[in-house]
Amino acid sequence: MKINKKSFKENMTGYLFIAPQILLFLIFLVYPIIEGIRLSLFKINYQDEVFIGFDNYKKLFSDPVFVQSTINTVIFVVCIVALTVFFALFVASTVFDKNAKYVSFIQGAYYIPVMVSAVVMSMIWSFLLNPANGLIPFIARKMELASVNFLGDTNWVLPVIIFVTFATNVGQAIILYIASMIGVQKELFEAAEVDGASRMKIIFKIIIPMVKPTTIYIIIMNIIAVLKIFVVIQLLTGGGPNNASTTLMYYLYNNAFKYNQLGIASAVGVIMFLITLVLSTPQLRTMLKKN
Amino acid sequence: MFQRRYFATAIAILFVLSVLAGCTSTSTDSSKSSSSSSDVVELKVWLTPQWKGVLDASEDGADYDSFFKHAGERFAAEYKEHNVKVNVEVIAGEQRDELLNVNLNGGTPPDVFFESVFAMGDYAHRGALVSLNDIVDEESKKDIAQGYWDSVTFGEDVYFFPFSHNPGTLAYNADMFKAAGLDEYIGGEYEIKTWTLADYEKILNKLKSDIPKDQYSNAYPMGLYALNNQGDTWNLAYLRMFGNQFFDNNGNLIIDDANGVKAANWLKKIYDDGLTNPGVESVSSNDVNAMFQNQQLAISFTNAILFNNAKADMESGKAPKFDIRLANIPSESGDPLSFTYVTGATVFDTKDETRIKVSKDFVKFISTDAELVKASKNGVPVRTSVANEFKSEKPYFEAYSANDPYMFNFTGNVPGYSQLRQVLYPELQALYTGGKTAEQAVKDYETKGNEVIEESKADSVIYKK
Repeated sequence: MKINKKSFKENMTGYLFIAPQILLFLIFLVYPIIEGIRLSLFKINYQDEVFIGFDNYKKLFSDPVFVQSTINTVIFVVCIVALTVFFALFVASTVFDKNAKYVSFIQGAYYIPVMVSAVVMSMIWSFLLNPANGLIPFIARKMELASVNFLGDTNWVLPVIIFVTFATNVGQAIILYIASMIGVQKELFEAAEVDGASRMKIIFKIIIPMVKPTTIYIIIMNIIAVLKIFVVIQLLTGGGPNNASTTLMYYLYNNAFKYNQLGIASAVGVIMFLITLVLSTPQLRTMLKKN
Repeated sequence: MFQRRYFATAIAILFVLSVLAGCTSTSTDSSKSSSSSSDVVELKVWLTPQWKGVLDASEDGADYDSFFKHAGERFAAEYKEHNVKVNVEVIAGEQRDELLNVNLNGGTPPDVFFESVFAMGDYAHRGALVSLNDIVDEESKKDIAQGYWDSVTFGEDVYFFPFSHNPGTLAYNADMFKAAGLDEYIGGEYEIKTWTLADYEKILNKLKSDIPKDQYSNAYPMGLYALNNQGDTWNLAYLRMFGNQFFDNNGNLIIDDANGVKAANWLKKIYDDGLTNPGVESVSSNDVNAMFQNQQLAISFTNAILFNNAKADMESGKAPKFDIRLANIPSESGDPLSFTYVTGATVFDTKDETRIKVSKDFVKFISTDAELVKASKNGVPVRTSVANEFKSEKPYFEAYSANDPYMFNFTGNVPGYSQLRQVLYPELQALYTGGKTAEQAVKDYETKGNEVIEESKADSVIYKK
């Protein structure tokens, strides 16, 4: 006890310095999480709150739209994260050792969509794909091609959203990979060259293992980002057709702000929090262990 | 060593104190502002886009908030009990519920909201609105027909002060009709033309085959949409085309019958036959309205305000000019399908007695002032006195009145109507994409809709009374 008191006294300055940050962390992060968990156990009206235990969760799992949203979210996470990692690895490993100006150009070209607001990107895609007056269907009609409603066809809507989100996000991963690959010791490449290793061997045996921490970071960050996918859905499809493109975040939003079902929305939030935790923990542990 | 440690501790304490001081000074500032604001009562007035201008869209700088800004200035000048400042905000119709729910849950609802009653009824059921019984005067009761009072009364109490109403019809491009050789189906300039369903189908087919492509490229006979709940009242009307009554006496959906299925099949058929714009399942009413104004659709949905705005846009050169006329939504029986949106102001329960009192006085002011109520001519006035005054100037008023016997109550006054709206369009999307048959779509809509209604009844403060 004495030791604790002593060490506390010694570290007083440090605690005081981090106190404001801890305070903000508690108010703006910990408190909302606890409040979200609490609300998920209540039925909330404008005038009162009634404790209903796990009824919100039971209701969720019996709702086919929630099940569909969960499946869609998992599909988005798997496809977008896999596409992002493979494509970014491919582009970065191809260009990282080229002329600096060329590398900068590639980085800039892929990073521009990341800088553009998701709202603007979605509006542009909507302008291109709108079946009634969009540019692509218009050209298809002019050329007398069979017109496909990319946003209204249940078979097409998920691939389109996956592509749009992937195209918007991949620049970030490319930049991280290029930076990471440039940091790999030159000696390794020289040794491989001396041994007569092919480019493919260098990529698979040296580059990919050496940038593993970056890969883990990109996977975790993208999983978290894609779990929260919302703007594209809201602006492009509205969750349709017939809930075919609804995601957990969109389902949460509808319940919280359109249907005013705060209890249900909080329950979705808690489930999303748990999914993120489960998906991120193994990668996080691997990363921390390595570090 | 010690000195250095104490110095660091002192800096850390100063740092923490400065943060706390920052918080304290903010709270002092906010308390100051609230105390100073106690002298001036600030009202937050929200509305969705209705008509432009104070009285008329042709005024200079006419916009959706012109009327309420003008009314607010006059109210502030004439109100004796408090100094009042009225802050007006126009919000998009499709964001109404999101904004209201966020603000209600955050304890910052607007004081006054001007909107179509059908979209706001749920807030009365949820106990978020205050009763306006005490500001309804005898003169207004006499001047406004009972039917309008009924539509703003929930349980025993009036929650909205009726201002105007906004009948929904179809609009058609008479120039396109002429170009397609459909002269015989064109109604008079101030007539709301009633076609039989057989005529209507003939019109759609002729438009499809005979609209001159060189004159109207990329044009379609009729506008149809199902992206979201915007403009869904027309979709509800189409589902009544074959005689379905939609609600029973207990306020439950009864769409799942032979007539309901027939109507759903009819919608699917005209879509499949290419008589509508393509991609109905992912097109919004806004898209359809824009297409109609760009002469890419011959027939579209409209209401009195949209119709006036479209004409104003044509006059001002914002949209291409064409001969726009009105028609009723046809039905199998031959009677037109007619509905109206009663619009009016309501007061939210902000828990602040002073603001509620001033808000009610403001609502009474805009709803009874002899000059301001004339703005209701932009829709169709609910006041007989105003309708009579503008009869000669607005020949459509008579045509709208002729539809009164065919009016149906599209909300059924059921609680949970906002959520009920969210159930319809996914089913329509499933119908148009072929994901569900007409039978399955109406069955699922009825089942899900009745679940919403049941749950909302259990939560409604009005049903609990």
